Parts: sequence; C-alpha cells; structure tokens
Amino acid sequence: MTLRRLETTRRSFLAGGAGLAAGALAGFPMPALAKNRPVRVGIALPRTGPLALFAEHLPFVMDQVERATKYTVNVGGSDRLVELVIKDTQSSPNRASQVALELILDEGVDVILASGTPETTNPVSDQCELNGMPCLTTEAPLEPYFLGRKGDPAVGFEWTNHFYFSGTQAGGAILEIFGQVETNGVVGALWPNDSDGNTFAQIYPPVLAERGMTLSDPGRFDMPLASYSAAVAKFKADGVEIVHGIIPPPEFTTFYNEAIQQNFIPKVLYAGKTSAFPSALETFGSRAHRLVTEVPWGPQFPYTSPITGQTAAEVVEEYHAASGRQWNSQLGFKLAMFEVLFAGLARIEDLDDPQSVQKAISSISDDTVVGRVDFSKGPFPNTAVTPIAGGQWLEGTDFPLRLAITENTFAPDVAIEAKTLPMLSA
Amino acid sequence: MTDIANVVIQGVLLGGLFAIYALGLSLVFGVLRIVNIAHGDVLVLVAYVALVICDSFSISPFLALLALIPLALLGGFAFQVGVFERVDRRDPLVPMLVAFGFAVVIQNGLLLLFGTNPRKLDAGAIEQLGVSPFPGINVSVLAVMILVIAIVLIAIFQAILYRSRFGIRVRAVSDSEENARLIGVDITATFRKAFMMVMLTVAVGAVLMGIKTNFDPFSGASRLLIAFEVVVIGGLGNLWGTLAAGIVIGLAQMVGASIDVSYQTLAGHLVFLVILLIRPQGLFPKVVG
Repeated sequence: MTLRRLETTRRSFLAGGAGLAAGALAGFPMPALAKNRPVRVGIALPRTGPLALFAEHLPFVMDQVERATKYTVNVGGSDRLVELVIKDTQSSPNRASQVALELILDEGVDVILASGTPETTNPVSDQCELNGMPCLTTEAPLEPYFLGRKGDPAVGFEWTNHFYFSGTQAGGAILEIFGQVETNGVVGALWPNDSDGNTFAQIYPPVLAERGMTLSDPGRFDMPLASYSAAVAKFKADGVEIVHGIIPPPEFTTFYNEAIQQNFIPKVLYAGKTSAFPSALETFGSRAHRLVTEVPWGPQFPYTSPITGQTAAEVVEEYHAASGRQWNSQLGFKLAMFEVLFAGLARIEDLDDPQSVQKAISSISDDTVVGRVDFSKGPFPNTAVTPIAGGQWLEGTDFPLRLAITENTFAPDVAIEAKTLPMLSA
Repeated sequence: MTDIANVVIQGVLLGGLFAIYALGLSLVFGVLRIVNIAHGDVLVLVAYVALVICDSFSISPFLALLALIPLALLGGFAFQVGVFERVDRRDPLVPMLVAFGFAVVIQNGLLLLFGTNPRKLDAGAIEQLGVSPFPGINVSVLAVMILVIAIVLIAIFQAILYRSRFGIRVRAVSDSEENARLIGVDITATFRKAFMMVMLTVAVGAVLMGIKTNFDPFSGASRLLIAFEVVVIGGLGNLWGTLAAGIVIGLAQMVGASIDVSYQTLAGHLVFLVILLIRPQGLFPKVVG
C-alpha cells in the first residue's frame, strides 16, 4: 500500500520536473549565450606539496596578464572573456589525474593548462588524450614528458602539446660547465630511486665515460633519507670533486648539511630540482656561492613578452618590486604558458569544436618571453624545445645570490657573462 | 679502518635520534601498556606547533621548547582526561582504535592547515657545525647533542621509574591494575602523571626531529614504524634497552648504506625481523625487582 503510493508520487514528481526543465530551456535566449560564451581554461598546478615552488608565480603572472588583456580575447571573430578554473594537484600524480578529469567532466573547460615536472604534466596530458581535450603543458623536460608517456616519436599525441627545454641539452650544458673547472674528473652521483634518478643512472654513465670522467655512485636511495653520511663517506673515499645530484630542496638541505659537517666540499656542486631555486639555497649563506645550475630562463634572456611587451629583464624587475622575492625560471615559463595560450586562442575558428581548438594550439609558431615556441619543429610531434643555458650563483647585491651565465651551447642568443669558478673549500 | 670507525660513529649518532622517537612510545607501550598508534602523528603535530611558535616569534627552536613543553603537557593532560580515561581499557583493542582515529584526524587536520609541503625547523649554524675528534672522522655537533639529550632523558626517567615511590606506583599499575587498586594506588592520577612524562619526551623529540629531518603531515607513519621497532627490539619497559635498540637500528642502517645507499632503510627493517625471530622478548626485557 505504502509502496504504491510512493511510486506514484515519484513518477508524478519526475514528470513535473521534466516539464519544468523544458520550460526553463525554452525561455532562455540560447543562441545569444552560445555566441558570447566565455572561453573556459582549466589550470592544473601543484600549489601545495614538495612541488609547490612551481606555482608561486601564478598570482603575479595572472595580474600581469589581466593588466595587458583584461582576459578578453578575440575568438572566431567575437571578443570573449577568458575564465580560469585553477585546481591544485597537491604534487601527486594520482591527484593530478583526478583534477584533470574533474576539469573535463564537471567544469566543462575548452582547454587545459598544466605545469611543473612530469608528475604534473604527464597524468594531466594522459587524461586529456583519453578524453579528447586540447591540452598545453610546460615545465617538464621534453624527454620525460614524451617518452615517460610512452610516446612514439613517429606518431605523437593527438590532443596534447608541450614546450620546455630538452633534458639531453640540459645534461649537455651541465657537462660543459663541469668541463670549465679544473678537476680530477671524478663525479659523485646522488640519483634517488625515482623516475628521474633512474633515468640519469641509465643515460649518464656512458656519457661521462666518453668525456674521460669516472663515476662514484652510492646507489639508488629512497627519499626521504634519514642520513646522507654513507654517500658523503663514499664520495670522500673515491676522491670526488664534482657532485651531480637530482634531489629536491629538503633532501639537498640534509645532504649539504652533512657534507659540510664532514668537511666535504666538491669543486663543482650541481643539484637538479634545487640549485635553480635561489630561495632553496639562501639558508646556506656563503656556502651557496658558486653552486652551478641549468638556466631555462632568466633576466639575461634577450626575449620580449608578446602579451605585456616587457623584456625578460623588465618582467624580473617588476616581479622583484611587486613581491620582494627573487625571480626563478618558473616566472618566465608561467608567463609563456599564457602567451602560448592566448596565441592559440586567437587562432581558433570554432570554439565549440575541440578539434579546431587543438589545431589552433598545435599550429603556433610564436615568439614568447622564453624564446620561440614552434610546435611543428620540436624533436617530437606537438612539442617545442626552448633554449637552455648554464650558470653559477655568485654573491648578489639586491638578493643574497645572483646568477651569472657561464654556458650557452644550447642557448646561443644568451650572452656569456663569466667563466665557471671552483667552489670555495672550507 | 677510519671507514669502519666512521660507519660505527654515524650509526650510533643516528641511533640517538631513533631512541628519541621511541622514548615516548616506550613509556606508553612498554610501561602503561597502551598501544599508541598515534605516537608518530603526535610527534609530527607537536613539531608543527614548534614551527608555528618559531615562525611567529622568530625564535630558535630550542628557545621555543620553553613554550612548547607546557603546551604539550597541557595537551597530553587534556587528552588523557578527555579521551583515554573515558574509553574501556579492559579490551586493549579499544584504546588502540581510538588512537588510530586520532592519527587520521591529526594527519588530515595538518593537511588542511599546512598543506603537504615538507617543513623543517631552522636552528641556524649548529646544523652544519662539525668537529673532528680523530683525523678522518667528522662528527655533527647536532647529532652528538641529540644523543646526549636522549641519554640524559633516559637516565632521568629510568631513575624515576625504578628509584622513586611514583615509579613504584607506575610499575605496579603496569603489572596489574587490579592488584594496584587493591593496595590503594590511585590509578587515574598515576596514569595522568605518566602521560605527562610521555608528552615531555614528545616535545623534546619533536623539536630535535624537526631540526634534523624534514616532516610533512604524513611523515608520522614512518616515525612510528621506527619507534615501534626500537621499542620491540629494546624490550618492553626497559628504557636503556630503547637506547640500545635505537643504536642497533642506526648502526644497521649505516652498515647497509655503506654497501649501497639503497639498502639503508631496508637494513634497519631486516635487523628488526631477525631479532624478532631469535629473541622475541627483545634484547633487554623488563628489569625484575
């Protein structure tokens, strides 16, 4: 009895609801809405977690873009507003994949941007490829991006586009820096048990041997490591004068503190993921002087932003004035991400057709603040390689550290400022 | 020769840190017989409190201890009165589940407040300070300090437990709550005081941990694992055993790492398993008498 009554109620409710929905649709000016609907752009970034350094410039860059464009762009003949939906990947690949899916299914975005190491770009790109969503990513070297996603260089990906420097070129630039300093050629490796560490352990040993350098490798370790003293002891025993590490800032702090305690100061010290970030080095005071790094972008890069019209040096200067914090290369690439996005949006013929959006982005060949981005030329389909220089941190005036360019094999536009100097021993 | 000496010295020093992690757990688990699953997370929580104190007053973490210890004692007291005294301890599973629930709450609360960024307490120049007692061997001043603090704390607590009337009451409660109550021991008061002792070690341990290594909202589990291994190897209820076991695990890690750094963490766990197999009561079971 009760059951039947419930059933009728549910049906009548459903019928009423459908009628209501239909009425609402009919009363709405649909065509006008479709014509001027805003462009929805999803952004997936590691705003918290170990990779949070990659997101710190976003608010500044968004203000810059707003000042220059008011977030209005001409798409297919009519001015449209650009709406940004920003999601935090929490530095986790699983979470990145999940937020990409949320952007696609729940937020109804037209294009997705993602940035900050393969842990962010790869899961987001994979999700976009599966769902036919145009995607633009940066700040992961091309090889771990493309090969890490099991990409076939002959075929490529249909929906995903990526620009950054090439890991091979960056590794080459670091080797050039190693060669500038007089050493015994013994290289100590700090390569952890993660995708980057294992990649270097595979690729680097033959390259080093080719250059007549010998390797001291304590093995792949799991982070966080409670103590690096075993690695330091091995480096000392093997007479290491060059250290090549791929470890994030907190781990580098543990390592370098123990190295200093143990009186181990190599002549050349490089830590990928750390030594490009002055904020991670400042705690070491004068001990941070003469650390070497790759330089994907900096105030010395002779390029201009097509959005704001500022040179790289002017962008850096304004960032310093606005934030009181020191620049790092992420600043340039955050801005370039918007430059490529806007260049792509301006080429779209039909915003409601994802194919048209993807075609517009992949056909870009534009100058940006990080150099020319041309997706037709890259080493892999739909990728673009940007220049990579090398440099060394010296004592600064406005900030504790300042970067000097010492190497430009893969960034010939960037002028060399100094020769790489050996680190100061204790 | 200096290589071997170096491995031994670094291992012993690392053991000091592990003993500090485990000291609080050794008291709760070994003496009070409560399996405190939340121990690692409480350690991390207190480290975050230390971080907030250091950041807001721009003071050294050691100075922050002055404020941190009373806060931790108060927190521990409130927790004991508000939670552990209200749960049924006749079934040991119940307080364990309560602690487990608190571990989850602490982790997610910290995640909400601080995000997943790894943090560190900044103690300044002492972190890099090293001395060289023998040629070829360099010792971290901070690591020596941690070991000395561990030894001093253990000496004090061991004396309290085995040389004071309060210690006798604690051990009586530990042996049999029923019999202790029969001879007129105030169980509730004894538990409260003992739990505050635990929180004192947690405050000191959290600050030392925060200076020596990184922590994030989820690092409690790995700290708990090491603390548990140390307590079990050391033998329940013997605090000197806790120190010895900390050193055993520290040594095992350093010996493993000197073969290949990838064996560092694994070697500690292997030694734990081996000792558990051949001496399940621990290296130094509870002192009798």
